[in-house]
Amino acid sequence: MSSIMQYNGAAIIAMVGKDCVAIASDKRFGIRNQTVGCEMKKVFQMNDKVLVGLTGLASDMQTLEQKFRFKNNLYRLREEREMSVTAFSNMVSSLLYESRFGPYFVEPVVAGLTEDGKPYLCGMDLLGAPVLTDDFMLAGDCPEAMFGLCESLYQPNLEPDDLFEVLAQCLLSGVDRDCLSGWGCVVHVLTPQGLTTRHLKGRMD
Amino acid sequence: SERPTRDATAQMSRRYDSRTTIFSPEGRLYQVEYAMEAISHAGTALGVLATDGVVLAAEKKMTSKLLEPARSSEKMYMIDDHVACAVAGITADANILINQARLHAQRYMYNYQEPQPVEQLVQRLCDEKQAYTQYGGLRPFGVSMLYAGWDKTHGFQLYQSDPSGNYNGWKATCIGANEKATTSLLKQEYKDGVALTDALQLAIKVLTKTADSTTLTPDKFDIATVTLVDGKVKYSQLSEVQGQALLDAAKEETASADA
Repeated sequence: MSSIMQYNGAAIIAMVGKDCVAIASDKRFGIRNQTVGCEMKKVFQMNDKVLVGLTGLASDMQTLEQKFRFKNNLYRLREEREMSVTAFSNMVSSLLYESRFGPYFVEPVVAGLTEDGKPYLCGMDLLGAPVLTDDFMLAGDCPEAMFGLCESLYQPNLEPDDLFEVLAQCLLSGVDRDCLSGWGCVVHVLTPQGLTTRHLKGRMD
Repeated sequence: SERPTRDATAQMSRRYDSRTTIFSPEGRLYQVEYAMEAISHAGTALGVLATDGVVLAAEKKMTSKLLEPARSSEKMYMIDDHVACAVAGITADANILINQARLHAQRYMYNYQEPQPVEQLVQRLCDEKQAYTQYGGLRPFGVSMLYAGWDKTHGFQLYQSDPSGNYNGWKATCIGANEKATTSLLKQEYKDGVALTDALQLAIKVLTKTADSTTLTPDKFDIATVTLVDGKVKYSQLSEVQGQALLDAAKEETASADA
C-alpha cells in the first residue's frame, strides 16, 4: 500500500517552550526503500521569526520552499517589513488550497514567534487546513510513534535548552520506529534573541 | 487632454500626436518625447558608479510640511536584494514599473535559483516600456529610471532607461530636472576608478549645485548606496545624519577650493 506522501520519507516535530519554539527534522532523503541522501534540508528559515518544516513528496517540498521565498521576498519589498508568522502561515494555507484539485503532496509545520514574542505553531494537511496548538505539532511518516513520545515527554514552559533536549529525544526515538525517516536530525531553537541550530547523529539506518 | 480636430488649419505635427503607435513625418514618436518633457519637471536623480559600489542620489520635490512622513522614499526603491533604482517622473507610473520589476526578479529567482543579472532585469523592463510605444494605443510611461546593482558576472553596474524603452550603461548619469546642467557637471568631475566615498562626495556636490532649493537640507534629498558587505549585496539608504555629514563635507570642500 504505497502512498505518495511516503515516497521520500520525512519526520518533523515542533514544540513550544517558554518564550521560544523549536522545530526538528530528520535528514533522510530516500526513494521508496532506498536511501539516496543523508543531509536533506527539510526546515527552512523565512526570516528572524519564522521557520517552516515540510514533509511529504520531496519535489513538492522543494518547489514549495521556492514559492515561499518568492512570496516572502515580494511581501518584504512591498510592505517594507518582514512577514509575521501568522501571515506566513495563512499564506501557506492559501497557497496549498489554490491547488485543491491537484494538491501539493506536502504537510507543512510552521513554527515561529508572533509580533508579541509569543510562540506560534501551525500544522497543515496537504490542502492547507490549519491546526493551531500550544504544545507540539508533528508531521511525517510515522506519526503514531512520534505522538506517543511527544505526549509522554512534553511539558509546557520548558527553557530553550530543555526544550531542545526533549524535542531531540522525541524525534530521534520516533524515527527509529520508521524505516523511511532518520539518518540523524537537525534541531532549530528559536528565541527572541535568535536561532540556534544543532545537528545530531542518531541511528544511521 | 483634448483631441486635435481634423481641421485643415491644425498644425501638421499635431495630427500625429493622438496615437503613440505611429511616427511623425520627421520620424519622431511625439508621445515618447512628450513623456520625456513630463520627466524634465520631476526632481533630479543621479547615479555614480564606483569601483566598490554605486551611489544613487535624488532630490525630493514633495517636501510640504503637511505631508505625513513616509517610511519609503518617493524616489528610491529596492527591486531585489541586489538591485535598487531611482525614478524621475510620474510617481504613479513608477509604481507600476517597480512592481513589474520586482515580479520579474522574483520569477527569475524562482526559475533559476539565482539572482537575475542586472542588465537582464533592465532589458525586461525596457521591453515592457517599448510595448507601450508600439502596441495598444496606450500612452508611454512617464518615468525615467536609474538602476544600481551588482551581479557576479559584471560586478557593479549603473543603467538608465527612458520612456522609449532605450537603456544604456553609465559611469555617471542623471535624469529629471536640470538634467543638462547636472550631466555637464558630472562629465567635468567624474574620474574613472573612483571609490565609493569619493562617488558619494561627487553626488552630493553635484546635487547641491543643481538642486532647485537654494540650501539643500537632508530632508530634501535621498541618497543610497549599493555595496558588497561580507560577499552579500547591501542596499542602504543614508540617514539624515549621514546626509548632513556629506553636505558639511561638500561645503568645506567648496570653501577650501574657493579660498
